[in-house]
Amino acid sequence: MVELIDEKGLRMDGRRVDETRPIKIEVGVLKNADGSSYIEFGKNKIIVAVYGPKEVHPKHLALPDRSILRCRYHMAPFSTDTRKHPQPSRREIEISKVISEALEPALILEEYPRTVINVYLEVLQADGGSRCAGITASAVALADAGISMRDMVVACAVGKISGKVVLDLDDTEDKEGEADMPVAIMPNLNQTTLLQLDGILTPEEFEKAFEMAVNACRHIYEVQRKALIDKYFGEDEVGEE
Amino acid sequence: MTISRKYVTPGELIVEGDYKPINNIIRVDDKFYATKIGLAEIGRGGIRVIPLSGPYIPRVDDPVIGKIVDYSAFSWEVDINSCFFAYLPAQNVFGRDFSPDRESLSKKFSIGDLIYAKVIAYNRTRDPLLSISGPNLGRIPKGEILKINSAKIPRLIGKKGSMIKTIESATNCKLIIGQNGIILITGPHDGILLANRAIKMVESEAHLASLTNKVQNFLSESKEV
Amino acid sequence: MSAVKKAVVVERLRKAQIVEFLSKGKRLDGRGLLDFRPIKIETGIIEKANGSARVQIGNTQVIAGVKIEIGEPFPDTPEMGLLVVNVEVLPLSSAYAEPGPPDEEAIELARVVDRGIRESKMVDLSKLVLISGKKVHALFVDVDILDTDGNLFDAASYATVASIATSTMPKSSVGQDGQIKQEDESIPLQINCIPISITLAKIDSEFIVDPTSEEEAVMDARITFTFDDDGKIRAGQKGQPGTLDFNQVKLAVEIAKAKAKEIREIIKKSIKDAKG
Repeated sequence: MVELIDEKGLRMDGRRVDETRPIKIEVGVLKNADGSSYIEFGKNKIIVAVYGPKEVHPKHLALPDRSILRCRYHMAPFSTDTRKHPQPSRREIEISKVISEALEPALILEEYPRTVINVYLEVLQADGGSRCAGITASAVALADAGISMRDMVVACAVGKISGKVVLDLDDTEDKEGEADMPVAIMPNLNQTTLLQLDGILTPEEFEKAFEMAVNACRHIYEVQRKALIDKYFGEDEVGEE
Repeated sequence: MTISRKYVTPGELIVEGDYKPINNIIRVDDKFYATKIGLAEIGRGGIRVIPLSGPYIPRVDDPVIGKIVDYSAFSWEVDINSCFFAYLPAQNVFGRDFSPDRESLSKKFSIGDLIYAKVIAYNRTRDPLLSISGPNLGRIPKGEILKINSAKIPRLIGKKGSMIKTIESATNCKLIIGQNGIILITGPHDGILLANRAIKMVESEAHLASLTNKVQNFLSESKEV
Repeated sequence: MSAVKKAVVVERLRKAQIVEFLSKGKRLDGRGLLDFRPIKIETGIIEKANGSARVQIGNTQVIAGVKIEIGEPFPDTPEMGLLVVNVEVLPLSSAYAEPGPPDEEAIELARVVDRGIRESKMVDLSKLVLISGKKVHALFVDVDILDTDGNLFDAASYATVASIATSTMPKSSVGQDGQIKQEDESIPLQINCIPISITLAKIDSEFIVDPTSEEEAVMDARITFTFDDDGKIRAGQKGQPGTLDFNQVKLAVEIAKAKAKEIREIIKKSIKDAKG
């Protein structure tokens, strides 16, 4: 059994139980895409492109009153410890679906009837929590694309290792730990858009874990916001006319 | 009247109280949130966010610059840098008595041709319809094409066309602006290069309130050199 | 016409401009006919890969990662390790790349890149054998195309070369029990040469190097040559429906050879910098 938390209460990478890994977000990293972003979340490295809204092909799949959101979460073959086959796995297909459902509530899809909005996520390196990092990055790319949004979406996982509730599990903690629970929220409207759980938590632990995740999401939201502000407004002050 | 402004990102609370939402705003109870990244303006008329990115959504009467990408026996299909391809009906070009037996569409416009046109119909249920009947509309024979985000076109036009006039007079060029973010520049070679840089400046600094002054300074400095 | 084709229609005005500029020895972006756009190479960016490189040529952006694993040799080459080069044109790379299995252009791209590396014997596959006929090292190079603005052949090739050249692998040995032991110590992957791919586009009767997407959309023909350290040609591929007359073929080789020498210095430097 691996020792996940030491006697000082620190985790293997030196984090406290309520600490996330370092986060870096960049906006507008691809030229062709309508919106794009890049996130480093611990060792996770993910690039996201948004294309659309555009015409749906084949045309009969279009909805008369709103746009369709399609997400594709894909892992680069070199992103994992052993090489991953380039063809999408069942896991990637499920994650694509949950990411799409986590983002959709935030998008005002009614503004773009008969169209599709494609969100492509490429995981260049995966290290536990890649779906959460992917959701966080996707929301930034959607904002960059100028798609109308009710709110941002921001995600973080929480879980349990060595009997303690901890924030943001990395790969080893996820594999060795007792529970993993990814959560996504809309930080201003206070809505949950994603919740998955595998493992064991008591109702008390669940409540504590959920609160910890929400607090972390609020912190990550500030990183999202700063990335967008830096890209669009730089250092400039708002002028009065 | 004072307008207060601030930079906002989607989901950001702009203000609470009793206001009229104009655009790019959602209201929850008495709270007003931005739906796009941009410049929020809170004035007596209401609240709006001037967006800094986003797709081009056609509106009736918009002048646009489009590219012919395909044609059938009865219409051309035109890429207008939007969610949908637009249609230019053959009748609009050849007249009411157009007959596909007599006239061949490819003789008038071929694939890759650029046209300056007007949106004459578009709504949530139908693709945009174009017309080239009107002064200056039709095929674009020459010039330099530039593309910027359509959300920034209002800044490029400026108040009552002030920005366009500033750029045109400083560069001796003529600008034709499509609301869809496509711009055509014609004029002397040096002027085109300078206008190009001025337009790029508008695009990258569209959030600045003092944009017109900044572009004016840039143009006069560049001329002196 | 399909949506894909519509997206690559180049304005006729633009095409006329490209051709007019070329006849004066210039290009729309200010480059000369035989100038590359700026090339940026970063290596060692994916810690989980044995080697990795991100290559940007202008707005074209690709990333390559090497995974070295233990596998079984092909039955007809029991004394050779494995080398697999795979290129994915990701849907994030442009408005007209679709998700799904690679189309024929993507497969051609992967195979041309693979051929340049393989035929130049950059990696000596005979040195990757652990147990003859049974266990060998398998080198997987996967290239992700992230952003497309022309010249994917050269960009993917440079990323592949830079990622292989900076790869390390765990020191392995075969125990007396026939089991393969991998130690913590990493050793660099041995390479024999640095193959350099140069792609020319022919527009009207002019050759240009490093075409942009727009230039590729109006080109008549494309030709790629890969050269080894000694300037010998190790692979070639002519693409697109246009033709080259016999003198043009000779000219293409000359241009590509001279250009390869120049680009080799850039790639060599990035590899040297990575190795410290």
